[in-house]
Amino acid sequence: MRLDNIQIVARREYLQRVASKGFWIGTVLFPLFAVAMTVLPSVFLARTKTSQQVVVVDETTRVAPELVKERPDPKSSNPLRKNDEMERKISSVQFVVEPAGVDRKAQDESLAKRVLDKEVDAWIRITPGVLTGDPVEYHGRSVSNFMTQGSLERRLSDAVRRVRLADAGLDPDKIGALSKQVDLKTIKVSKEGSRAEGGAGGFFAAYILFFMLFLAILIWGQQVMNGVLEEKGTRVMEVLVSAVKPFELMMGKLSGICLVGLTQFAIWLLTLVVLSAPGVVAALGTLPDEFKLPSLAPSAAFHFLAFFILGFMVYASFYAALGSAFNNLQEAQQVAGTLSILFAIPAMVMPMVINSPSSSTSTVMSMIPLFTPILMPLRIFVETPPLWQIAVGYALTVGFLLLMVWFSSRIYRIGVLMYGKKPTIPELVRWVRYS
Amino acid sequence: MASSLELRDVRKSYGKFVAVDGVSFAAPDQGSIFGLLGPNGAGKTSSIRMIMDIIAPDSGEIHLFGRPRGPEELRRVGFLPEERGLYRKMTVLDQLLFLGEIHGRRRRELLPAIDRWLERVELGQWKKSKVEELSKGMQQKIQLIGTLLHEPDLLILDEPFSGLDPINQELFRDLFIEHRKQGKTVILSTHGMELAERMCDHICLISHGKVVLTGGLKEIKRQVAGNAYRLVAEGDLDRVRELPEVEHAVVQDGVAKLLLRPDAEGPDALRRMVEFLRIHEFRSEEPELEQIFLKAVRDAA
Repeated sequence: MRLDNIQIVARREYLQRVASKGFWIGTVLFPLFAVAMTVLPSVFLARTKTSQQVVVVDETTRVAPELVKERPDPKSSNPLRKNDEMERKISSVQFVVEPAGVDRKAQDESLAKRVLDKEVDAWIRITPGVLTGDPVEYHGRSVSNFMTQGSLERRLSDAVRRVRLADAGLDPDKIGALSKQVDLKTIKVSKEGSRAEGGAGGFFAAYILFFMLFLAILIWGQQVMNGVLEEKGTRVMEVLVSAVKPFELMMGKLSGICLVGLTQFAIWLLTLVVLSAPGVVAALGTLPDEFKLPSLAPSAAFHFLAFFILGFMVYASFYAALGSAFNNLQEAQQVAGTLSILFAIPAMVMPMVINSPSSSTSTVMSMIPLFTPILMPLRIFVETPPLWQIAVGYALTVGFLLLMVWFSSRIYRIGVLMYGKKPTIPELVRWVRYS
Repeated sequence: MASSLELRDVRKSYGKFVAVDGVSFAAPDQGSIFGLLGPNGAGKTSSIRMIMDIIAPDSGEIHLFGRPRGPEELRRVGFLPEERGLYRKMTVLDQLLFLGEIHGRRRRELLPAIDRWLERVELGQWKKSKVEELSKGMQQKIQLIGTLLHEPDLLILDEPFSGLDPINQELFRDLFIEHRKQGKTVILSTHGMELAERMCDHICLISHGKVVLTGGLKEIKRQVAGNAYRLVAEGDLDRVRELPEVEHAVVQDGVAKLLLRPDAEGPDALRRMVEFLRIHEFRSEEPELEQIFLKAVRDAA
């Protein structure tokens, strides 16, 4: 294999496409599309229902009884919480009330261990200070289940408010001031120790990655297919194949077009920053903490980019295989439509992975090569999985990519022998052997 | 002396159809135009595709420049496939740069070479045009430049003259002969015997996937010479085919080109012909390649 050949092919693909009108039209039109797309994940989320086991350690002994009483959720004053109704449907919380221990530190540690051992999902401690406005600490394995947290937060506020009102002798003038909402401060319990963090940051990063991938494939996946079809249709391939190995050709094509996708995103990002920086900063100030833009660690940023590139190339390799197997655009496009199913599966399991990132289902799903580029970063951002799992995810995906490229380059090469006839599957298999 | 191209017992079949059935030949190393000849479907294109590593042979060996063929050797070959094709949306310049680069040349050396070539074929002003804006003849010229641009040591041309107008045929022929003058080898695949006869010094005749005749054109002709005759006569010329001495005859406009059996004598045939023809002329001449080819194919069968 010659890397310089891959580079020459990649450069051709890149320059030809970036210089085309289609690229610039797409670059202008697709942001509009992207906005519409971001509405969909909440619809997916609404389909799943999870129940969380939360241990309540009540030092005041008065808040917990109020908390476990079933009451309708109080309406939130926050305009961003308009979909409370939906949230309550998805996220139910089961409380396990436990008395406060004498040694607070020891009890905290044993609770954290139970969380890590997956005996319970989270624990909270209600200190006497809570009655005077201190936050309640939520210690959970996953701190990204923000819908559950929102519900919990409101029920806690309600319970505490009642205790306060009782203490204050139910003075109506003071109800407004006393029923101040309690904020939930999330502490991510992890092997590296606890650290405070905006719970939704990782969640959003993962969704951004998913939609970037989806968009890139939507826009450029077909381009990979068209490019392959053009080479076959114009018979350029015969000259190419004699100078460049089909594997190098496919690799060059995939990486060149992947770079085109990255370029497009870079343009969007820059435009966004330049045009709307003042507006965005102003808007961020008014958002609650968990809606702040994710601040990713450098390692997370690396995974983000690596999985984008890998994911793009893996998915695009399917289009390359299709382009290789068919003779004209119409035939190939009929099948290409069904390829979007490849995205539907990880999209549907994303909410499940978000709420329980280390369950065995999540672990297995995140290591299936087609899903890894979407689900593994999600797990990394939400609750970092063991290093070996990440490594296996990478290795399997790279292996699968090479296999796909090899496979499509075999079929591509056979395309030399095809003249106008639509091949059947047995014919394709036979041709793979002949070449 | 090492051959620029050598095939040893190369075979290829597609399912039950045997396309190339044990082909062996060697093209000379220096300054030669080697004709790979045969009718359509004889296995010429399949052989060339195997030489170019586009399809893999079932068995056999292929050597280039005296070494087993590898990617490095292939880069020294200029290949013009039977079915032409260029990227339609690329400019002439980008297209040629790309073709040069995948054959291992650097942009620096390619840029002046491209200008030189475009001037040579009078397409200088089309350098920045997209390929799809060019006429078919112009595209053929561009593709030929793409074949020659990296200064290959061996040219492999599959039916290079098909679809060319007479002026471009002339241009192409000049370029190939020039290539030979530089001491390099040209492999020319064609089913046009007349053309091959004018250009080739070595030939390999293929029929039904098998080599029926190979060697220097002059030697081959010398072997068959003495048995080829030209006959000008009035009467039912077609009847000459029925004569026992005549192996093969091409009859057109009162002229018959005859190839007699190796053991037959010209005068014997003439004696029979005077019985039904008014003969104006009967003389021995150099056999035409087409006659040789048809005879060889029949002998093989």
